Amino acid sequence: MKRILVIDDSPTIRTSVEYAVKKEGYAIEHAENGADAIEKVSSLRDAGDEISLCIVDVNMPVMDGITFVKEFRKTDRFTPILILTTEAEESKIKEGKDAGASGWIVKPFQPEGLVETVQKLIG
Amino acid sequence: MIKNRNSRWGKTLYIISPGEYFATEEQCILGTVTGSCVVVCLYDSVRRIGGMGHFIVPGTIGTEGIFRDEIASHGITSMEHVIGEMVKLGGDRKRLSAKIFGASYLNGYSARVHYGTVGTMKFMHEYFTLEKIPVLVDDLGGHARRKIYFNPLNGKVFRRFLSNNEGSSEFIRLEQEYIENAFMNKGTYGRMIMFE
Repeated sequence: MKRILVIDDSPTIRTSVEYAVKKEGYAIEHAENGADAIEKVSSLRDAGDEISLCIVDVNMPVMDGITFVKEFRKTDRFTPILILTTEAEESKIKEGKDAGASGWIVKPFQPEGLVETVQKLIG
Repeated sequence: MIKNRNSRWGKTLYIISPGEYFATEEQCILGTVTGSCVVVCLYDSVRRIGGMGHFIVPGTIGTEGIFRDEIASHGITSMEHVIGEMVKLGGDRKRLSAKIFGASYLNGYSARVHYGTVGTMKFMHEYFTLEKIPVLVDDLGGHARRKIYFNPLNGKVFRRFLSNNEGSSEFIRLEQEYIENAFMNKGTYGRMIMFE
């Protein structure tokens, strides 16, 4: 089963994303911020598991989403990362792209649109 | 948002209009007038950061939970805007407390707006429960407009009910325009960009 890591400091957003994509048969992992996500990815790798896709917010305490993308890309160049945020400024979007994100979705997100994008990325 | 440096408070007053949000760690006062909309005052007592959001949820909310409700997704985004600005300043939603005001049933408003008011109240209670953010003051409902002043550095709020809409005609016009737009755009979602 393909595994999606949802990284957001808001439990409401994590649950919304989980609700939208879980019914399509994906397994969901939660992380509260970028640092928590890096730890989670590392323990999954240690256990022989892997993440198929990350969906990450930008503004989070401890480690923000853009820093997470940069850190994650140091050890994984290919797993897709979708940024899901209220930030819509072009300069911020460029920062995400330059860090190595695969796409940028501005909240509020349409559940069907998110599922379609996830399916395009990981099938 | 209007910035007034010569307020009676002796510090800068930021006036937040319907649909706007603002977070700060500076010595100032955030002020607004609300009718059908909700005004959320959030405070991080460790970092002494305050944030205010002024919005309405444009419709009724279903019974299956706000995380699976398309109308509620607009309320969630309004909250995300305020909290996101606080996080940029070093705030953390785990330390936040909330004071909420407004969502009045006002004479002369359409049934649609009243549905929005009911939806907003339901949304607020469910949202703060899911986020585990304590609500220290829950002052929603009633039939009068409220004038709100919020000190973002200590979390204190001054609230006054306005009789006969005194001195708030500009806010009434702005609120009506904002609510009209919010209902018109309730089917609109954020853009999606895929990078090559």
